Amino acid sequence: MDDSRPIFIQIAEQIESDILRGTLPEESQVPSTNEYAAFYRINPATAGKGVNVLIDSGILYKKRGIGMFVAEGSRARIIAARREQFHAEFVTPLVAEARSLGIGQAELTDMIRKEGNS
Amino acid sequence: MSAAIEVTGVTRRFGSLRAVDNVTFSVEEGTICGLLGRNGAGKTTLMQLLTGQDFVSAGSITVFGQSPVENAGVLQNVCFIKESQKYPEDFKVRHVLKSAPWFFPNWDADFAGQLVEDFRLPQGRKIKKLSRGQLSSVGVIVGLASRAPLTFFDEPYLGLDAVARQLFYDRLLADYALHPRTVVLSTHLIDEVSNLLEHVLVIHNGRIIIDDSAEGLRGSATTVVGTKAAVDGFTRSRTVLHRDNIGGISSATVGTLNSEDRKAAAAAGLELSAVSLQQLIIRKTGTTEEEIELSA
Amino acid sequence: MTTTTTHTPTPGALARIFAVVRLHFVNKGQIIVVPWLIMSFIFAVTLIIGWILRTSLSAKDLSEAGSGMQYSGAIGYFLVYMLVIAVMAISQTFPFAQSYSATRRDFYLGTIVAFAILSLVYSAAVTVLGWIEDFTNGWGLGVVLFSPGYLSPNLVERFYEAFVLFLFFFMMGIAVASVYVRWRVNGMLIFFASLALVILGLVALATVSSSWGAVGAWFVAMGFFGVVSWTLVPTALAAIVGFLLLRRATPRA
Repeated sequence: MDDSRPIFIQIAEQIESDILRGTLPEESQVPSTNEYAAFYRINPATAGKGVNVLIDSGILYKKRGIGMFVAEGSRARIIAARREQFHAEFVTPLVAEARSLGIGQAELTDMIRKEGNS
Repeated sequence: MSAAIEVTGVTRRFGSLRAVDNVTFSVEEGTICGLLGRNGAGKTTLMQLLTGQDFVSAGSITVFGQSPVENAGVLQNVCFIKESQKYPEDFKVRHVLKSAPWFFPNWDADFAGQLVEDFRLPQGRKIKKLSRGQLSSVGVIVGLASRAPLTFFDEPYLGLDAVARQLFYDRLLADYALHPRTVVLSTHLIDEVSNLLEHVLVIHNGRIIIDDSAEGLRGSATTVVGTKAAVDGFTRSRTVLHRDNIGGISSATVGTLNSEDRKAAAAAGLELSAVSLQQLIIRKTGTTEEEIELSA
Repeated sequence: MTTTTTHTPTPGALARIFAVVRLHFVNKGQIIVVPWLIMSFIFAVTLIIGWILRTSLSAKDLSEAGSGMQYSGAIGYFLVYMLVIAVMAISQTFPFAQSYSATRRDFYLGTIVAFAILSLVYSAAVTVLGWIEDFTNGWGLGVVLFSPGYLSPNLVERFYEAFVLFLFFFMMGIAVASVYVRWRVNGMLIFFASLALVILGLVALATVSSSWGAVGAWFVAMGFFGVVSWTLVPTALAAIVGFLLLRRATPRA
């Protein structure tokens, strides 16, 4: 847990990453709020808040009296969201910085290609 | 949610000293609340007032809606574990385990027995022969196994090593999850407990200077580091909680920064780092009275 | 997480007071085993002395030694011990009972009940042992330990005298310890200074008004039984004062 961001957001991201990596397959049951609290040694209310973020966004859903499950199609939705995030967090500033340094589009694409090959 | 504790304008004077000075706050039922502050800040006095062990000089306190003073109906739902707890002469650990259930109606003897094993507490040993850590574990066991709807832990783990403290945190979280209750945790090991807390109260010189959710406090302060000129420029219009200078480099702790602020800081060549709860409290309680009032 | 730990209904006042009574008795070593161990030791020593006297002294000297023993008595030792455990009950068990969330009122009433029970048991024991001592003519050795001459020869009266004396010593211990718990060392200093002044004042009063004769006559007229009965007044006062003090006392480190 890092100190700069709310823990519940970090918990939500952690669960998303587990879904991305396949540790939590779609339609599988997710550990309970209390299990998350115990595992990460955090307040159960905070863990609950993180889980609720994912329930609100439809990544997880509740089965009454049984527990929480990964929604179908949530992996694809997480990938889509993370791609968008990737664009905003990395590509946009990258292009802006390149422009300010006078790096043309062709040159930038070339740099990225070389980076990808290495 | 209703309040387990409501404190309104409470003052406790000892002669001319105001150990607790016109304090107002409440604690939500079912939360784990940190009561933090330096030694002598008024934590123990405040908890003694909340448990009817001491008497207010002014103001009012209600616990579960009633005054706790000499109120058996309230007090039997309260357990107060004190670091400096006295035990009767020649009491043994087993005398404590035997008598505690007579006073705490929710006492779980199996849980207590399991904790005694976890903490490797010798039941037949006299309390006064226990090590400081073992003495603390007696309190921790009573506090957990009593399952009182309102439990106070005042510096509960003096002398406990890191492993035993972790054991306490794990048992507390697990049991709290199964049997939700209101817990007030007072400690100076703030970094260790900050993730366990839902709410934070900081008392300094008898006054509550922070009363906020733990999530709200997280990221509520940031340290900016850079050249003296850059830091001066950035902090000109802000409240500075703390400032250090080394050669031409300065670091300043400031309040919450939004994304615009972060961009501006980055543009000025400043490095940003998060301030932990413990650092935040040190900054806030180490500063002078005036600075605290400015920043509060 | 919508449910919190259940708030149980308050147990009745009697159950709460009974819990305090049990708390006083949970460590039996302190309150029962230790005093009887010491008593057994004193008893053994007394028997040995009695046997030595019997084998070495003439009949005349023996009867003088016997009358000297009339005023020792086991009851004195028990009374002092009771004073000590009463002081400890207030100075140590009170802060502990507060940590168990007992109210001061429940603690005080429970403490008085516990000590009344203890007084009953000890007075009964002293009476029975005294009766055996009389019956066996001093355990066959002419020894006087449980049946000192100042106690009434009537067993019921003797039981009453012992019981009232036990109560007196308990309540004095409770009241003095309450002064300490409430005001600490300063309170003790002021208390004992005031007590000394009051006693001096009474002595001066008796001297100035030359009424020592009357005082002496009163004690003679009252007899041991009467004086013991009169201690019920300070006992009751101490019980009230102790409660008033403890009601506003705070357990401190």
